Amino acid sequence: MAERTFLGFPRAGGRAGTRNHLLVLGINGLVAAPAGQIAAALPGCRLVATPYGRGQFGADKELHFRQLVGLGANPNNGAVLIVGADRKSSDAVAAEIARRSPAPVEAVTLDDTHEDAFELVARAVRMGVRLTREVSRARREPVPVAQLYLGLECGHSDASSGLAANPLAGALADRLVDAGGTAVVGETLEWLGAEHALHSRGAHAGVGDRIVSAVVARERAVTAAGVDLLGDNPGQENIRGGLSTIEEKSLGAIAKAGRHPVQDVLGFAEPPSAGGLHLMDGPSYSPESMAGFVASGTQMILFTTGPGNSYCSLIAPTIKISAHPAACARLEGQLDFDASAVLEARMSLDAAADALFASLIDFASGALTWGEAAGQGSECFTRIGPSL
Amino acid sequence: MLHADRAVAVSGPAEDAGWDAVRIADDDDVAVALRDLMGTVRVRCGDRIGQVKLPQPIPFGHKFALADLPAGHEVKKYGAPIGRLTSPVRRGEHVHVHNLKSRRAGPAG
Repeated sequence: MAERTFLGFPRAGGRAGTRNHLLVLGINGLVAAPAGQIAAALPGCRLVATPYGRGQFGADKELHFRQLVGLGANPNNGAVLIVGADRKSSDAVAAEIARRSPAPVEAVTLDDTHEDAFELVARAVRMGVRLTREVSRARREPVPVAQLYLGLECGHSDASSGLAANPLAGALADRLVDAGGTAVVGETLEWLGAEHALHSRGAHAGVGDRIVSAVVARERAVTAAGVDLLGDNPGQENIRGGLSTIEEKSLGAIAKAGRHPVQDVLGFAEPPSAGGLHLMDGPSYSPESMAGFVASGTQMILFTTGPGNSYCSLIAPTIKISAHPAACARLEGQLDFDASAVLEARMSLDAAADALFASLIDFASGALTWGEAAGQGSECFTRIGPSL
Repeated sequence: MLHADRAVAVSGPAEDAGWDAVRIADDDDVAVALRDLMGTVRVRCGDRIGQVKLPQPIPFGHKFALADLPAGHEVKKYGAPIGRLTSPVRRGEHVHVHNLKSRRAGPAG
């Protein structure tokens, strides 16, 4: 069989982009508003502006930096325009993005303009227009699907997720890994109750133990906080859909991981060092979990849901899929793939996975997802510590 | 027990293929409703179709017991434990948050 390809934007030394964004990256809450004004003046750009950036320390500060750099270095960005408060931190973010990505990176800061915010916006727009034109010169080319790195997420799951949508996501991950690609499943708490099945899936010594340790750490945090997971995870939508406990939800959720061995447990927002299936130790809330995927380099996300869930990444096209027959009918046009035929046994899982794989290639090659066409994307920053 | 093909092998259209609910793994205590159910329903268990009389309506995606189960019983779905019953459940009765509690990560351990 001929090698399967998608039409992507080749990036020297790394995975190709499935999009070619100019990313306006606000790296400090002090300039979040001007970053928004700059983005508004640059048609077609993507805006990610953190509300944080000062008063952080230790692991929390390091994680914030890793998220900024990772979002900037995602291959879907053809250029990055950093908007910062001070020159030093902006240069640090720019240098690290440039180390990981061949895309041009520019930075404007309030330092440069002696705190003149109008001047900051004017300089950035000038620079942004130039970058927009530069980015527009790139053309899509056939690229092996082995260059795809796919994030697998679920949100507002119900019983149909565990029966059909998540197994289908897993079958897609299997096909992608078979083709030499890379996939990641996160949401550590949703391995809870399924960690023993995952433990035996480690590709290397120690991976299984790291999976179980990650679950134990999350479980301890829940217990230490004295909170009841019920109502939060499973959440109200899960409970309405028939899921009663975190164990039940997890056993359905990990079907997204397919059957391949787990190569590694990535830290949050950490890029994988090799291909194959990975787990990411991260939060279960989709906006945080998905930003972790995108910061680790995923150019595409597959998002399974039961009754519907409209959240999408801004940088990685997010393919929405449900197997809930009523949801697929009610949300027609708002889901990118209708998997209800699998639940109703009108289509085999294999046939559906082949169709979904073809869809993935189509979206990776430039077809707009519902979220892209409807402007639904955003990215969310995770904090893991208090501010000074 | 968690594999994709099993999920497909046991799911099916209620009207066409002749079952309304499915037991996912052989040793599961519960079946999952494939549509809103009431009355006597057909449950696919592996290659067999069994009948269960439901004393109450079971919504799409929700679970009901396939046998009389005592309080404290560890309920299995996907062939794995999903929690413990806080009260006895009769065959056909709804199993959900009112009578099934997680054994993990809770304040009560």
